[in-house]
Amino acid sequence: MKHTTFIARLLGGVLLASLIAGAAEAQETLYEQMGGEAKMRAIAEEFTNVLLADPRINFTFANTDLAKFKQLIFEQFCNLTGGPCKYTGRSMKESHEKLNSTNAQFNALAEDLYIALERVNVPYRLQNKLMVMLAPMHKDIVKKGATGKPDLSPPASAQSAK
Amino acid sequence: MTNSPRRLVRVAVFVLLSAASAAHAATDWIGADQGKLHLTAGFSDVEGAGGAGLVPLAFVTGYGSSDSWGANAHVTTVHLNDFQLGAYGVGIGALDRFELSYTRHELNVTGGPLDGLGVDQDIIGLKVKLLGDTLYKQDSWLPQLAVGAQYKKNKGIKDAAAVGLPGLTSPTQLGADDDEGTDYYLSATKIFLGQSFVVNATLRYTKANQFGLLGFGGDREDGYSLEPEAVLAYLFSRKLAGGVEYRSKPENLSVDTEDPAWDAFVAWTPTRNISLVAAYVNLGSILGPVTGETSDQKGAYLSFQVGF
Repeated sequence: MKHTTFIARLLGGVLLASLIAGAAEAQETLYEQMGGEAKMRAIAEEFTNVLLADPRINFTFANTDLAKFKQLIFEQFCNLTGGPCKYTGRSMKESHEKLNSTNAQFNALAEDLYIALERVNVPYRLQNKLMVMLAPMHKDIVKKGATGKPDLSPPASAQSAK
Repeated sequence: MTNSPRRLVRVAVFVLLSAASAAHAATDWIGADQGKLHLTAGFSDVEGAGGAGLVPLAFVTGYGSSDSWGANAHVTTVHLNDFQLGAYGVGIGALDRFELSYTRHELNVTGGPLDGLGVDQDIIGLKVKLLGDTLYKQDSWLPQLAVGAQYKKNKGIKDAAAVGLPGLTSPTQLGADDDEGTDYYLSATKIFLGQSFVVNATLRYTKANQFGLLGFGGDREDGYSLEPEAVLAYLFSRKLAGGVEYRSKPENLSVDTEDPAWDAFVAWTPTRNISLVAAYVNLGSILGPVTGETSDQKGAYLSFQVGF
């Protein structure tokens, strides 16, 4: 039974260490920890590059205004991570209405974001903190039985980004 | 006899490697979407269930998302002081909900008075994810929950004559009640993504002695018991995790003062088609009262896996 105590101590130690680390970080917003506006803009840029190079999902961006897309990604990430920005785009539900996104596509996008964050040197620990905020969007983006084939007919409104 | 498991490993590794290279190209026409993120497919554990090394997780094996299916095959070897266990098997996951697996265990005694003895067992596993989506629902405290059953059939003891025990062919002769049995388990897995931790707790309802390799039930206890298991893993990167596992086991036999098992592991998925689990494992003493060797059986756990 000595192993039980050993494991319990190990678990306790690890949890305590992560709590202490977490408390020290709580002073700064994730936006600041990640590197502020310059880094957020670099992330939006690189994320867009990775998405457009990914054959699993790049076709869903065929009609996307890329400059506007990058701006909205920047605003969204900035806003979510506690930065001084307002997100001016549509809700995730609205903007993905016609994309018929599947689970695999959602995860491909998540993977592309991880790759982009790696490329602009955001530490993996912080990458996950951003992902925590994005992951719950799954319920607004992926619909049961989705085909993965987007309806890319031009939208009625002028707001066509994403 | 000691050569055949090794040859089997070589053949299996070759077949699996070829399968892995084919899998990438073939997934389109077999309808496999490989839609999960790295590390979330669940490695095949030592009994074939989607898990880590010794403990099943609530993840469904394979990289198929809830719209699809996937599979994972493993070749695993555990080298302990006086024992070597080979485990080979395949698991299929469907709709990110159902998992079916088959694994073969081949245990060889490699030291001590029983050197040369062998035991084989077959394990057929079924797992069903009940609820939760621990990856996406980061805004919820709910873990992902799965229940599973593992039917285990002990194929008997081999080569007992070589150690002066002719006629010893079944673990029932060592005091076990039965040479077959079924484990039932409930696994709760939670990804604390913000902290880069994965925590799993499993409760197993079992009669198995040393995973079933020494039969089921025994002269000391013949009924089922409820045994706790746990995994704590840290995510080092998108493709690399490491952690510790603990697994309590029943003590049903007088000939075996069975101890809990634990390990410290790393799990790596360089691609969606290949994964590796390496661990330092301690299974506690095995058959101490028989062999006189009461110290812990510990050593290396290595699992090579391919899937999609």
